[in-house]
Amino acid sequence: MGRLRQKGKAGAAKAYITRTSAIKKLQCSLADFRRLCILKGIFPREPRSRKKANKGSSAPTSFYYTKDIAYLAHEPVLKKLREHKAFAKKLSRALGRGEWSSAKTLEDNKPVYKLDHVIKERYPTFIDALRDIDDALCMAFLFASLPSNSRLPPELIENCTRLASEWQLYIMHTRCLRKVFLSIKGIYYQAEVMDQTITWLVPYQFTQSIPPDVDVRVMLTFLELYQTLLGFVFFKLYADAGFAYPPPLDTQKDEGAAGVGAFSLQTVMRSVQAGPSKSETTGKKVSGKEVRQTIKSIDASTDQDMEIDPNSTLDAIADIEEEFVVHPSSTDPQTSAALPTLHSLSALPQTTQASLFSPYTFWLSRETSRPVFEFLVRSFGGRIGWPASSGGGSAFGEDDESITHVIIDRPLIEMTPEERQRRARHKHVQPQWIVDCINAGKILLEEPYAQGKTLPPHLSPFGERAGAYDPTEAVSSVAEAESEAESEEEESEEEEAVIEAEEEEEEAEGKQALRAAADVAADDAGVLRAAELAAEAAGVDYDAFEKEVSKSRKKAKKVAVEDKDADAEQDMNKMLMSNKQRKLYERIKHSQGKRNTERTKLEERKKSLVMQKKREARA
Amino acid sequence: MVVVTTSKDTRKRKQAPQEEVTNEQNGLNGASNLEMHSDDEDGEEIGSDDGEVEDFPEIDVASDSEEAEESGEEVEEEDESEEGDSEDSDLHIFPKPKTIVSDITGRPKRVYPEIEPDYDSDSSTEDTPNRVGDVPMHWYDDLPHIGYDINGKQVLRPARGDELDKFLKTVDDPDAWTSAFDKNMQGDKALSPQELDIIRRLYEGENPDAQYDPYEPTIEWFTGKGKEEVMPLSAAPEPKRRWIGSKWEKKKIMKIVRAIRQGRIIANKPKTKESKFQFYSIWSEPPSSHPPPLPAPKPPLPTNSESYNPPEEYLPTDAERAEWQATDPEDRERDYLPQKYSSLRLVPGYDQFIKERFNRQLDLYLAPRIQRTKINIDPNTLIPKLPSPSSLKPFPIYKSLTFAHARGRVRALSISPDGAWALSGDEDGVVSLWEVNVGKEIKRWKFECKIGSLDWCPRSDVTYFVVGVDDTLHFIIPPNLPSAIFSATQSSLAPATLPPPSAIPSPVKWVSNSSSDLSILKVELPPSSGTPTQITWHCRGDYMSTVSSGGVWIHQISRRHSQAPFKKVRGSVQLVLFHPTKPHFFVATQQYVRLYNLSEQKLLKTLMPGIRWISSMDVHPSGDHLIVGGYDRKLCWFDLELSDKPYKVMRYHAKAIRSLHFHPTYPLFASSSDDGAIQIFHARVYNDLMTDPLIVPLKILRGHTVKDGLGVLQVRWCNRQPWLVSSGADGAVNVWCS
Repeated sequence: MGRLRQKGKAGAAKAYITRTSAIKKLQCSLADFRRLCILKGIFPREPRSRKKANKGSSAPTSFYYTKDIAYLAHEPVLKKLREHKAFAKKLSRALGRGEWSSAKTLEDNKPVYKLDHVIKERYPTFIDALRDIDDALCMAFLFASLPSNSRLPPELIENCTRLASEWQLYIMHTRCLRKVFLSIKGIYYQAEVMDQTITWLVPYQFTQSIPPDVDVRVMLTFLELYQTLLGFVFFKLYADAGFAYPPPLDTQKDEGAAGVGAFSLQTVMRSVQAGPSKSETTGKKVSGKEVRQTIKSIDASTDQDMEIDPNSTLDAIADIEEEFVVHPSSTDPQTSAALPTLHSLSALPQTTQASLFSPYTFWLSRETSRPVFEFLVRSFGGRIGWPASSGGGSAFGEDDESITHVIIDRPLIEMTPEERQRRARHKHVQPQWIVDCINAGKILLEEPYAQGKTLPPHLSPFGERAGAYDPTEAVSSVAEAESEAESEEEESEEEEAVIEAEEEEEEAEGKQALRAAADVAADDAGVLRAAELAAEAAGVDYDAFEKEVSKSRKKAKKVAVEDKDADAEQDMNKMLMSNKQRKLYERIKHSQGKRNTERTKLEERKKSLVMQKKREARA
Repeated sequence: MVVVTTSKDTRKRKQAPQEEVTNEQNGLNGASNLEMHSDDEDGEEIGSDDGEVEDFPEIDVASDSEEAEESGEEVEEEDESEEGDSEDSDLHIFPKPKTIVSDITGRPKRVYPEIEPDYDSDSSTEDTPNRVGDVPMHWYDDLPHIGYDINGKQVLRPARGDELDKFLKTVDDPDAWTSAFDKNMQGDKALSPQELDIIRRLYEGENPDAQYDPYEPTIEWFTGKGKEEVMPLSAAPEPKRRWIGSKWEKKKIMKIVRAIRQGRIIANKPKTKESKFQFYSIWSEPPSSHPPPLPAPKPPLPTNSESYNPPEEYLPTDAERAEWQATDPEDRERDYLPQKYSSLRLVPGYDQFIKERFNRQLDLYLAPRIQRTKINIDPNTLIPKLPSPSSLKPFPIYKSLTFAHARGRVRALSISPDGAWALSGDEDGVVSLWEVNVGKEIKRWKFECKIGSLDWCPRSDVTYFVVGVDDTLHFIIPPNLPSAIFSATQSSLAPATLPPPSAIPSPVKWVSNSSSDLSILKVELPPSSGTPTQITWHCRGDYMSTVSSGGVWIHQISRRHSQAPFKKVRGSVQLVLFHPTKPHFFVATQQYVRLYNLSEQKLLKTLMPGIRWISSMDVHPSGDHLIVGGYDRKLCWFDLELSDKPYKVMRYHAKAIRSLHFHPTYPLFASSSDDGAIQIFHARVYNDLMTDPLIVPLKILRGHTVKDGLGVLQVRWCNRQPWLVSSGADGAVNVWCS
């Protein structure tokens, strides 16, 4: 006999911990716990049986993994939070006593936590981090557009603006923007960086106000993490592209509202950047040896006056040496010859899509959003200029000869002939043209997007789920069906015209009408009556009509019976399904039905719209 | 020594009123004296010592005499001063001291007036005429007087005006606000300036004594020049710490010094941007072997309907818009309404932007995440693949004829062993015998009360049936029998020589009744045992079992003997069945089916179908399988060799299952239900133990009407054809043919 097992000593009761007990264990406040969870990416888990995890109680609580909480107990951030608590007490005491100088000293030595170890822990590789920056980018762009107030210090807004600009700068430089979608919520961008698809949402340029039911503390904690994450990711991206990070900011341009243009990319000698000296990262003791080494290195740098990283030169040499040299095998010399190398790949011309706008020069009309279209056009290699009212930093003026397109978003007005002539030199397009060109991957015709025209619908480049309603496809099929019906109608009209002349034709026509009527009327009494009358009008005798009707009825019945049989068999076989299978089956059927109704609803609406339009056109 | 000190003490006491003139000297002298006393035995200074001792009494005497003289002078002087002070005597409560020059010492001294202990000396009590003392004055509230004076005369209450008088007094009298109510005299008394001064001082938090000087010069009794402690109190040597620096402090300081040297601490470092966090290539070090946490799921990408200029068909109709607005934000399928703007310029800011980002963050840190595998299968693959019913023919498909009972539900139904005749009995007491093929009624019997059950004897050499009505079983021989069979039947039911009665007496009576045309033999169950709800035969046709509310009886026809197999049964027995091949007996109570061995008289098995209330049961002709139906719509298939739990549980009827029957020869069984439907199954059983029985639903037969919530009450198969006979609550008995 094994040892007796006590309740609550193993299994789910041990593996899960409720939030209250987690807080008790960590000896911190709920706010601190929330902050830790956000920073460390710890989220509640759903135990398979809540009762077992909560020692028999079924009260609604959230559960965490006990191990997650145990790891949190050793978290440096938690230590700093505790220190901060002590600091806050000391500071309030000093302020209460009016000890200003000691308060200032305390304030200077305020404990501040760093998040670099958290980033490294949550994202062990760079790709992990890159894959997860969607939300971070959204937040950075959102906070860059918020007005600063007492809760949002201007430094924070400024930092977010800087991060957003750095990201845009990188995207523009690497030309990795793929898709853009103008939605009612904002503008979705999708870029492909290092084979990772990154989608971010940027709000339209309007002042946002934080609604009262939003907890700003939560958002700020997230933003804290996201700022650090973005900083490290951008550092790596810039370093890989061979640029200095952070990119230097031209303050004069920035004050002129140049936006992204205020930043400039600065190439650097590629050097393997070590982390900050270990004392900063780990807080361990610095050995005397290290100090001596740093002193020596400082000396050396002052002597040489020019910094040459030995590693970088070595790297360069290695690069040259590591050129792929094919050693053809003796048996089959052809096989290895076709292998592409990195050099050959990079030597290939970039896809046309990336340099879509490179032959064109754009001028932005003043009512269009400059940051958006500057980013879009420059990401695809185009040149763009804008009036001074949209901000400084335009590369050329309005009268530049090279301008090919003007992006304009105003209704058309009456123009003087000379103005019209002046305008004829450029193509005036609405902003949607840019976005649709990017999504299509080619330059579209400007005609449908010309100023004052009703725009074609703007569709999501991200596509819909498989089997959903596709507006582009539906248009063609519906149109075809419509045109067919139309032509038939016309034919019948023509026939009618001919009937009057020829008697034999009439017979055939009558039969056709009869058959159609019978087919339609087989199962509906009211329709049957109408069809009878129609047949009479067409001059068909009643017996023939009856025969037709009964024939078609039989046919319909046969088909129906077969269908019904198959259905009934299936229904009967469902009896033998297990409960689990039946539930799954019903769930799948339900979702399928829902999708289908959605789809048919859209299709029908489309059909009715097309019909209505035709009717209007005819009228 | 002792004498000296006492004398000195007395001198001091006497000198104190004189002056403190010699205080300093005395102090010094005292100290020196003490020192002297300590070593007075030394012969060197004895002389001086002696001299002082001698002087002492003289001084003492002189001072005494002088004191007497002085006191006389003082009295005189005091008188003078009293005269002088008379003007401001009311200003000072305490007597004023006078400063005079002492004759003896020639120094000024303060002299207080003498206090004479006569009656007049206490001014606080002299002018109070009311001598009642400190008693509660409300004792006198109802009396005209307020107490007594010193002579024992009543002190009358002073006249006190009403409120208006009081008010006028405050207006007229300028001193009214400085007067207070004297409880003793029951009247207002003006406060003196001294009293007012005391009140003011108390109010301002000062000492009430106007004479008190808080800044008097200190009198140095034990400190000051000449009083220093010269000798140490303890002989312990001076500790080292007094002059050597602390080691620990040095260590602490060195720590800081080292930190400053290494640049870890920068004194007065400026708060500039240099102190801001610097980014570095965090991913240059190899990643830890720890698996990375799962990335958070990304939100779904926007679809066409979110476009600022969607195709028109995506725009919601007014009804949809109203519905969207009526639903709670949490229940909405989409968090936005599709909208169409003719140009980008007109697109407004999205007011829910921050809220949506916030919700996303709440999802990230508050929502439990579950990894779910998406099932992408055709739902039709989930339906089990079974052989097509058309390949499993024959089975009943259509209704060939209906035999109608005039009224009453047809609860009892039985088909003759050759399959040609059907018997049906309704609740009205009518039993009809009719032909299965054509539905022609041959004969009808009428009983007084409702027919509980009826069944044909399964024997082929004799032909009769049993009808269970109201505590009685009637054995009836159908008409038009071949003479051989008729005689055999008669001889078996009413033999010429009755078998010897059983040794064990039984409450069941067997009554032969050859004269009556109704029944040839009657078995009378014990009174009030109720209508037999079930009659079931053993396959040999000698034993028959009946179930009624009175219990289970097993009747042996050849011995004309009945016995109750169970003394006590747990639960109420619903149904019983004989095993087709073995001497086993199934007994179904409400929830369990028990299998007994009759020959060994022991319980073999208890089957647990998991049905709340068992309604019907049938055993497969092979005897290895059992089906049990319940009022809770479940049908359980038991493989008796496998387990006491059902092999398969099915629930397909919409209402309670009423009846089940296996076909004796074809692999078919049927179930009927209160929903008016009959379900035909193909049930193939294999001899091979490894192969599971094959159950295929074949056909649903509908044709009975549901009446009073009751549908098809009984189904029975014809023995040699795949035909089914069913009886319903609507009084119809249908024959279903293939």
